[in-house]
Amino acid sequence: MARSTHLGDLEELTLLAALRLGPDAHGGAVRDELKREAGRSVSVSTVYVTLMRLEEKGYVRSELGRPEAVRGGKARRLFAVSPEGVAALEAQRDVRAHLWEGVDLEGDARA
Amino acid sequence: MPASPPPPPPRLARLLLEWVLPGDARSEALLGDLHEEFVQRAARRPVRARVRYTADALDICFRHLLARRRAAHPVSRHHGSDVMDTLTRNLRYAARRLARSPFFTLVAVTSLALGIGANTAIFSLFNAVVLRDLPLEEPDRLVNLYYADLGFSHGTYSYPDFVDIRAATTDVFEAMGGMQLAITQSVAGSSVEMLTTEAVTGEYFGMLGVGAALGRLFTPDDDVAPGAHPVVILSHGYFQRRFGGDPDVLGADMRLAGRTFTVVGVVEPRFSGSLRGLSPDIYVPMSMFEVVQPGADIFDERGNHSFFPMARLRDGVELPAVEAALGRIRDDLAARHPEDWRSTADLVVVPTDDVIMNPMVDRVLLPAFVLVMGVVGLVLLIACANLASFLLTRAADRRKEIAVRLALGARRRTLVGQLLTETLLIAMVGGAAGVTLAAWSVGLLLRADLPLPLPITVDASLDGRVLGFSFVVSVLAGILFGLLPALQGTRSELASTLRDETAGSGRGGAARLRDLMVVVQVAVSVVLLVGSGLFLRSLDASRRIDPGFGSAPAAVVEVMLPSALPDPERLALFDRVTDRIAAMPSVRSVGATTNIHLDPLNTSQARIRVDGVEPPAGEDFHTIDAARVDPGFFDAAALRIVAGRALEAADGDDPVVVVNEALARRFFDGNALGRSLDVNGLEVRIVGVAATARIRQLGEEPRPFVYRNLRAAAPTYVTVLARVEAGAAGATAQAVLDEIRAVDADVLVYRSETMERHLAVMLLPRELGALVISGFAVLALLLAGIGLYGVVSYAVARRAREVGIRLSLGAESGRVVRMLTAGGMKLVAVGGVAGLGLSALLGQLLGRLLYGVDALDPVTFTVVPLTLGLVALAAAWVPARRASRVDPVVALRAE
Repeated sequence: MARSTHLGDLEELTLLAALRLGPDAHGGAVRDELKREAGRSVSVSTVYVTLMRLEEKGYVRSELGRPEAVRGGKARRLFAVSPEGVAALEAQRDVRAHLWEGVDLEGDARA
Repeated sequence: MPASPPPPPPRLARLLLEWVLPGDARSEALLGDLHEEFVQRAARRPVRARVRYTADALDICFRHLLARRRAAHPVSRHHGSDVMDTLTRNLRYAARRLARSPFFTLVAVTSLALGIGANTAIFSLFNAVVLRDLPLEEPDRLVNLYYADLGFSHGTYSYPDFVDIRAATTDVFEAMGGMQLAITQSVAGSSVEMLTTEAVTGEYFGMLGVGAALGRLFTPDDDVAPGAHPVVILSHGYFQRRFGGDPDVLGADMRLAGRTFTVVGVVEPRFSGSLRGLSPDIYVPMSMFEVVQPGADIFDERGNHSFFPMARLRDGVELPAVEAALGRIRDDLAARHPEDWRSTADLVVVPTDDVIMNPMVDRVLLPAFVLVMGVVGLVLLIACANLASFLLTRAADRRKEIAVRLALGARRRTLVGQLLTETLLIAMVGGAAGVTLAAWSVGLLLRADLPLPLPITVDASLDGRVLGFSFVVSVLAGILFGLLPALQGTRSELASTLRDETAGSGRGGAARLRDLMVVVQVAVSVVLLVGSGLFLRSLDASRRIDPGFGSAPAAVVEVMLPSALPDPERLALFDRVTDRIAAMPSVRSVGATTNIHLDPLNTSQARIRVDGVEPPAGEDFHTIDAARVDPGFFDAAALRIVAGRALEAADGDDPVVVVNEALARRFFDGNALGRSLDVNGLEVRIVGVAATARIRQLGEEPRPFVYRNLRAAAPTYVTVLARVEAGAAGATAQAVLDEIRAVDADVLVYRSETMERHLAVMLLPRELGALVISGFAVLALLLAGIGLYGVVSYAVARRAREVGIRLSLGAESGRVVRMLTAGGMKLVAVGGVAGLGLSALLGQLLGRLLYGVDALDPVTFTVVPLTLGLVALAAAWVPARRASRVDPVVALRAE
């Protein structure tokens, strides 16, 4: 159970970025969002590989937009986080929250 | 902010992406993302944006190829990911190692970039000219038709012959059509252009299977009666260039050769004429040929061969049937027109697929390409030898490390894999740089303003085939010259290596291999240098040839007078034009000729009979080159009269001629003055003898020539020469255009240039040849120098201990330098002698391409070894001297 819903670090951040972006979540936007909000600099191809993997796992769905001149006449692929993806994110957050409960940073730091 | 369109992303990177990615919706979206990001970045930092785009593209392609590989071997998924991991690890390792020795990396990448660049450049030209297919429908059913006679095996048809043959071959040909080239003057307001034109028969487009991008193409209905179909079709390139791709051009009028034509269509972009290298701007119906190119009587003259016929075979018809049909027609035509069909004339058919430009041209073109490909192949060989040599050095440096790793149980395969990855990485980077270099240099060559006799266009853009070629060459280079050093470097003589290699000036297999590389490099450089020397000397000899005319500055203006004018009026117009030019302040004299010397596109001949001189067997006349000239010609062309006088205005239209010395010698034993001969059936008297000018080629044997009286018949097509003050030729050539237009706008001006440029056309092939081979030879010398430098440096490093001992024992540093240098020079001597021997052999093959220089030219064979020796000495001396300066203590402690 834990294994099947496990999200890699970048997968988690990518899903969160996609959620934040809502209907505008395409590859380039996700990359910008990661850079701006999470301070993570990743290449376009990394973002794409991650999004593809998430799609294979069923955590995101994608649809094709309209071709645009600014994109050299290419269509835009827009990603939306699926309910399964939201569930996986929540599960991940719960795991972390649970782990955080037993942590006493100040005590550890002094020890 | 100005709304300039965003710059396009780097072409190569985008092509690579489109080639690697599967082209599905996902790839499209990815390309779109990259493009969008690039546009945003480019607005701020254009250069960075390009670098970033390229880096992303390479990253994506790499990942994609890995993923594809993994998908292709799903069974051993674990193993598959192992391979990928290994590859990634090796690549990272190689990249780190290369980054640690930037000098080595730079030299290696540069060497390969130059080598691969040279090969890619030549291949892209080869691809554009030879390999790319014409975009025709079912090309295997198309054939080219030729007329063969003495001296030319694949000539053009005459138009009347074409019409007869078309009517008689409907049983074997589904369609037969063709075209004739013309240069058409187009006037729009104050601007005048000369347009390359294909006058095509009505069947032409349908037969080839070419479609329209806009409007319609010609049908047989457009090509019925001479002069009755003023319609024009634009090539896609001209449509874009001249009309900005505006579809409203359909139905518009164009003023062509003084007549109004209506634009009815635009040809699809991929078709640019049926003759490679000559892209027409416009197409007009064949029936309009005499309108756009007045002065030619092509519809009736069977002797005028300048029509290019093609045909589409009927389904199931094979070549032998066509040949049989053509044979019957030939016999029939020869019987009906004995005056134009000699017994030697024949009709030849060749599948269109088998022809590049013309079978006669192809026979020269292909060997020329093979020669140049051979030259660039040698350059690449040198570059690869450099790479191998450097790698051997590095492998030797790492022997200890490798021996330890082998001892610790590393598999040899793994180590070889690592070393090979490094080589391949260098090869890939070098290859990419080479492709960029090639695209740049070919673009430069094609844009250069060469004095070409025809507007030749070559689309040498990089396509999949060129990129594939460069990729394969890069990989082969990487493997071929990386594998040997890698194997050599990982030979498991563990014990001896671990025990002691430090003391050694011992020469192992690696050192011998490196020495061999230097010998090969030097030998190859010598071959190229000798080739370059011979070409340069040959060019020099050609430049020294006195063409016998044109030594005075002059403007050369080729005009066509309206053929519709009656003769007296045309002659009057000719006089007005020449008078007007003569009145220009910079002009000293004006002359005219119907056949200017050394024009590769025009020759004109006359049939002469001289009493007492037998014509060649089977003929009842001599065929010799001829022109009709006016009295001013000899002065304007700076053509010396050696006996008698030039033509004079007082001659009027008298039947008098001037002959050249070659003619006087051959037909009159040198005493031609006052004698008579028969020219084209007219008895004429010789009033003067001119110096023998070069007629067709600079290097030709003296050719007899007869200068007939221009005024005996009104000229239509004529070249006017305006002799000017020194330095005024260029400006005059420009100004003459306006003067002629002021006289009569219907006079067509085909070209107006300086005499200097007119003569330069003849030297162009030699100049280009010399330029190209010299460029490559210098490159080879440079690469060989780098290689030698590397070898001596390495020898010095290995002998550092010995040098240290010698120096500390009081050896003179000069002696040490000499000793170390001598080691390198020995290799150079061996390579040099081998190279000279090889050059002497190969020179015999070049013989036919050379002019005025022996294949064993003593100057070349002296200068080349001297140059090479000096460069080699410098390359060996620099590292040797550095070694001698080393502090002995440091040298001894080094190991």
